[in-house]
Amino acid sequence: MNENRRQILEMLAAGKITADEAERLISALEPEPAATVGEFSGRIAGSNGGKEATVKTRAKYLRVLVEADETMTGIKGPTTVNVRVPMQLLRAGVRLASLIPAQAHQQLDEALSRHGVPLTLSQIKPENLEELIDHLEDLTVDVDSKEGNATKVRVFCE
Amino acid sequence: MTPNIAVLQIEGPHFHMPRLWLPIFLLWIPLILLSPFLFLVIFGLCLAGRVSPWRAIAVFWAIVCSLPGTHVRVSTQNSQVLVRIL
Repeated sequence: MNENRRQILEMLAAGKITADEAERLISALEPEPAATVGEFSGRIAGSNGGKEATVKTRAKYLRVLVEADETMTGIKGPTTVNVRVPMQLLRAGVRLASLIPAQAHQQLDEALSRHGVPLTLSQIKPENLEELIDHLEDLTVDVDSKEGNATKVRVFCE
Repeated sequence: MTPNIAVLQIEGPHFHMPRLWLPIFLLWIPLILLSPFLFLVIFGLCLAGRVSPWRAIAVFWAIVCSLPGTHVRVSTQNSQVLVRIL
């Protein structure tokens, strides 16, 4: 038990802090979780052999895997779709929205809301989209259909 | 980086096409030759649509340069389509 944790427990015993506060303080003292996909923890070359650092590697591709059976596609036998798209292509593609003339934005917004998509194109800014794509790197979608249907969809970044 | 080579393969139940390696970089030659005409068309369309032609060219160029690495494979029991852009 380290010194910080002992102090927290002593404060809790003395009634200076509540149990919830003690739990939060102890959680804050806990080390970072182990490196996940897309993160690398290790020593940086030339770091004097001291501290470790976490470097997040950016995903380069968005991959979509679809496996569907006959009942879904109507085609005899299983159908497999494997698409890999560079993330850079997504960044470039979202810039297409900037080419839409301003007078068309309102009509598009109305059409989208009629179809159940409450999106305002004029309020979409490049920095918002960049942030969205950056968060897309943490996205993993696994869809398994119900029994009797062998359709699977996987969307992830690599 | 602009795309240089496209790999294309289509297989069906009754035919088999060998994997084609298409040299996309050779398309630059006719594109350069036609560029004045293409620029006129693009500028005309952009001005008609009240869109900045420079922005349109920049977006198009960004899309083209980000194509390398695209990989599409659709396969069924009897057929397969493969498209790769290198």
